Amino acid sequence: MNKCVAALLLILALSACGNGNHGAASGASSSPSTGSDDDSSSLSAMAQIGKKAFFDTTLSGFKDMSCADCHSPEYAYGPPNSLAVQLGSDGESYGTRAVPSLRYKDMTPAYSDEAENPDGVTLSSPGGGFMDDGRADSLADQITFPLLNPVEMDNPSKAAVVEALKIGAYAAQFEQVFGANVFDDTDAAFADLGQALQAFQREDISFHPYSSKYDLYIENKIGGGLTPAEKRGLEVFNTADIGNCVACHYGGASFDGNTGLMTDFTYQAIGAPRNPDIPNNDDPAYYDMGLCGPYRTDHTPAQLGTPDAYCGQFKVPTLRNVATRTVFFHNGVFHTLDQVVHFYNTRDTNPEYWYPSSGGTGTPVDNPDYALQPTFVPGATVDKFDDLPADEQGSIDEEVPLGTGVGGDNTLGGGTEPRAVHSTPSMTEQDITDLICFLDTLTDGYQPPETAPTHGACVN
Amino acid sequence: MFKQPSQLFRKSSRAIAEAAMVAAIAALAACGGDGHGNNNDGGGSGDGGGTTPTTKTLSGVVSSSGYVPGSTSGDPTIKPGYYAGATVFLDSNANGKLDDGETSATTDSAGTFALTVDSDASGPLVADITTSSTNTALSAAVPAHLILRASAAQIADQGEDAIVISPMSSEVQRLVEADSSDYATEKAALATRLSAPFNTANALTISGADALADVNTLSGDEQSALLFEDNALTNRYVYATAKFDRGDLYPDNLAVKGGDPRLVDLSGVSTATAVTPQETQAAITFAEAQQAAFNIEGIPRYDNIFVIIMENKSTDAIVGNARAPNINKILDTYDQFSTYYSTGKPSEPNYIAVGGGDDFGITDDNWWGCAATGDNAPTDVAFAGGTASDGQPLPAMPAMPTATGALSGYSSTCSGTNHNISAANLFTQISSAGLTWRVYNESMNPGQDPRTDSVADSAVVDTYNEGGVTGTADYAVPGGLYKTKHHPGMGYQLARNLPEFYADNRTVIGTQYTPEDWAKSTAYTIPQGYDYDQLGTDLATGDVGQLNFVIPDQCDDMHGTGSDTSCAGDNSGQSPIINRGDYYVGMIVDKIQASALWKNPNRHEAIVIMYDEGEGSATSCCGWNAGGKNSGTEPLVQNADGSWSQASAVTNYGNGNIGHGNSIFAVITNGQDVGSAPKGVADTDTYSHFSFTRTLEDMFQLSDPVQPETYVNRAKYTEYFIAQNITNLPEFAGSADTHFDAVRPMNHAYVIPDGYEQKLNPADIQGVQNPDTGATDGAITPQTGPDANQDNIWATQ
Repeated sequence: MNKCVAALLLILALSACGNGNHGAASGASSSPSTGSDDDSSSLSAMAQIGKKAFFDTTLSGFKDMSCADCHSPEYAYGPPNSLAVQLGSDGESYGTRAVPSLRYKDMTPAYSDEAENPDGVTLSSPGGGFMDDGRADSLADQITFPLLNPVEMDNPSKAAVVEALKIGAYAAQFEQVFGANVFDDTDAAFADLGQALQAFQREDISFHPYSSKYDLYIENKIGGGLTPAEKRGLEVFNTADIGNCVACHYGGASFDGNTGLMTDFTYQAIGAPRNPDIPNNDDPAYYDMGLCGPYRTDHTPAQLGTPDAYCGQFKVPTLRNVATRTVFFHNGVFHTLDQVVHFYNTRDTNPEYWYPSSGGTGTPVDNPDYALQPTFVPGATVDKFDDLPADEQGSIDEEVPLGTGVGGDNTLGGGTEPRAVHSTPSMTEQDITDLICFLDTLTDGYQPPETAPTHGACVN
Repeated sequence: MFKQPSQLFRKSSRAIAEAAMVAAIAALAACGGDGHGNNNDGGGSGDGGGTTPTTKTLSGVVSSSGYVPGSTSGDPTIKPGYYAGATVFLDSNANGKLDDGETSATTDSAGTFALTVDSDASGPLVADITTSSTNTALSAAVPAHLILRASAAQIADQGEDAIVISPMSSEVQRLVEADSSDYATEKAALATRLSAPFNTANALTISGADALADVNTLSGDEQSALLFEDNALTNRYVYATAKFDRGDLYPDNLAVKGGDPRLVDLSGVSTATAVTPQETQAAITFAEAQQAAFNIEGIPRYDNIFVIIMENKSTDAIVGNARAPNINKILDTYDQFSTYYSTGKPSEPNYIAVGGGDDFGITDDNWWGCAATGDNAPTDVAFAGGTASDGQPLPAMPAMPTATGALSGYSSTCSGTNHNISAANLFTQISSAGLTWRVYNESMNPGQDPRTDSVADSAVVDTYNEGGVTGTADYAVPGGLYKTKHHPGMGYQLARNLPEFYADNRTVIGTQYTPEDWAKSTAYTIPQGYDYDQLGTDLATGDVGQLNFVIPDQCDDMHGTGSDTSCAGDNSGQSPIINRGDYYVGMIVDKIQASALWKNPNRHEAIVIMYDEGEGSATSCCGWNAGGKNSGTEPLVQNADGSWSQASAVTNYGNGNIGHGNSIFAVITNGQDVGSAPKGVADTDTYSHFSFTRTLEDMFQLSDPVQPETYVNRAKYTEYFIAQNITNLPEFAGSADTHFDAVRPMNHAYVIPDGYEQKLNPADIQGVQNPDTGATDGAITPQTGPDANQDNIWATQ
């Protein structure tokens, strides 16, 4: 997909979503299908409050936006559109990062620079935490960021949120659970709201349904047999010198009895291209550099231009339900899985597919359909890793399939060798097709067909 | 007539044996006639001069033992006595039953009997001991029906007026039948088996006559050793009697070659792993019941088993790894279970699963009191101190450990998951049976409370230098060399409350720190006369338990802790810690193999080398939570009518029992070293920690296959049990492979179908790149179809 098409998509998406889309799904009393039983009786009283709050549009500055507007239950609690960033409650501001899915988040540990890796093998590294830069320690802490962010839900203060609760439809319930005087202490009441939203996300099975074909496969259930294509894709996923996805999208036994989360909670600098669809990026001096800021502040480089190993690193997301998404990476620069996998495969070998270039001579050459840049002028200079300042590119990941994984500490600055430009990428086109077939098995809500198909995509 | 001593205060067993022999000769001299007479129940014999006697009197005692719970030393208190009110008869047709025409006598309050039979009658004597009999050892009614017997050959040997019917007499005859052997051979064999040191440094030689003697007449170490065996045999023969009385099918369902016959055409069972039983079952005979009680579900009785548990290595991190020469030699030389699954992640749930067949939803390594509130609150009691059976001084301990800083994650809340388990477990089962367990822990601080982790001790310093690995010079003992998370019994409240708990947590010598190093310890007060290597002591003195766990410290178990370079490493299998752990395994195995116990060809001894978990992805088998955290899995409780229901919800139970892939499981038996037990067997049927728990329960006759509730926790989840209780076990619903999902004893009875591909976790068998050679080591190709043979790894000959 090229940029023109992406822009068109954005326009289409705007008409369908944003703050205009809170008619049916708004209001605390309205709870759209969550993929689980709508009956809340299995939820604790605290979680039931969290559920109401999750769908409560009065918890936004303009009373027009709930958590569920961006974290849509119908879209695995991810964005219901392909917008790189979403429109805020004020109807004119845009966010700064793509909306992540809230599924399979409840077991994420708090951020640590030296986080234990759930695989039990990899050495400790930055990991854990909520938000793409880990700056919230828990699901409960996390609520501050969307609720109070002027470009998101746009509440002016915690007091404003608590006031909305106090006059809201479930104020009595809130008092019942958290105490009759709960609204007297703004900070405590706001923290209680966090506890309630956390309880909802932990308790409601729709946040961790484990109902994909992959789950049936892992659990040896009827209907869980992978097709030959899916099996090949799994092998690509797992094989260190081909797809190597498993190196970060760890599928094994994780914390708290969770399994197959397809993330190790670590942070990586993949070097996603800069996305002009994010309004903030209109400012050429603005860089979203994840762990080193600007939103996270404890790893901000001492001065601009000082190399900092934390820069450019963003949280590794779960790959569960990844096939249902239409916006990828922290900056939403990609819109199809095919594009993402090709980016991993050819970022080093064909940077001209992904980054803008300048100069060169002659007739522009068409890039493949999946490329972000439609054409390339022979001899042009590619502005690789254009979403990170030059001094901060040392943290760029050079593991397979991005780089060669040879030498160093897996990063560009650490001496790991990139793949040579125009060398053969790690994965073949067949590998990529198969890999995407496997990734499709991670989609929740899978119903095995009565009879297994014998032909078609992802079968043989 | 030889008069039976009323109690155990006889001076010499030899005197009795000699007296018995004289009597036997006299009796032989008196016989020779062939007169017939009417059977007289208990009547006197004709001994008038001149006429040929038509009857004779068989007399003697039915001796007993009685286990008295409460010993704090680690060796159970077992008293000698007699069975009063037992019916004794000559079982001419050897069917174990008093038939019409067979005369009987009843033992008196001193356990003596005098039975008048035809003078030419012969055959075994049977003592039928019912619940209306009394065991004088305990001055209590006999709790369960027990049939004992003494062979005709024994009667001839002991003399018709000095017959001792006991579990020992039953045992010799059982061995005669099992081995198609004769009385003299098996009498000698039993004596040889028991001629091992028994809690003493002194050699113990037991004669055949003494082994079969009235145990009340013996004394000292010999009597102790025989009483211990008497009690264990009593348990077995009670069980044999129950099987006989119930008319159990023989062989046991899960011992039938080819698979459990109950599964044939059963709904809810996968066709791809359907069983094809190769034996037919029939109601058990008396003789079969005698054997079956020693081979429960095809798992023979062992005298001692040593289970060495290592840490965190997938199969491919060990197999073919040049850093692990000892373990690979064992795998190549002896036997292995090659589709063995862990059941949890991380360590603690796996150890708890080994100790009791479930992890109860625990998914961390926190201390045993974590989130243990309300009904789960710890009920530990203070220990007054004392001395273990092997002489180890045991300091007093408070009800709860005072060194809370040495309790892992002491302040954590564990997400509400209770870590103090009130459920049944192997340790209490073994204790209840009058058997013994030990957990030998390397690198505890001398004098420490075993319920806490060990702490750093800067006064204890040494350099690791073994097996080609040299560690950091003069490295001081780091904290956490001993961790309670690696103790299979620690999480179980009932195990911690056993009177012998402190005595049964014992020391084993390490590789880095010598007793001289440890003697400088300042962490706790070192008890006077502290033994730094109780495993060494106990192997020499025969004071090891039936079930022994050997838990290396976190440097010798391949886990790693601290910063000593010899203890460094990840789980890839390519670091010095592999060499270190392998060296330790080699050292412990050598010690056990060098012991008199191991070299005794009449004993059954085994060593297991296993890992707590693999390092791949989360899969397991055999009783696992096969539906994940949303499956609705809960523990089961049995209702009064015998049916099963889900217990009230256990917080986070669904997080547990999900497994952590494959690791190696090697078995060495002394029958392979000093006998002709099969070697080189690879049993590729699927087994998990729960299967191992079940196997141990069978091995020590702690459970009864006819009563699933007697197996702890998930160890009862056989394929048949799951099919019968599927509505209560939603985690198994929709299974595509019900054989894989179910527990079975590790007996190699099931024959893997043609075309069935061995299910191994790909992440545990993909192989590990060796940085020295660049080669990929340890990669395993799953097997398709049945094994080369169906040899049972636990077979003793």
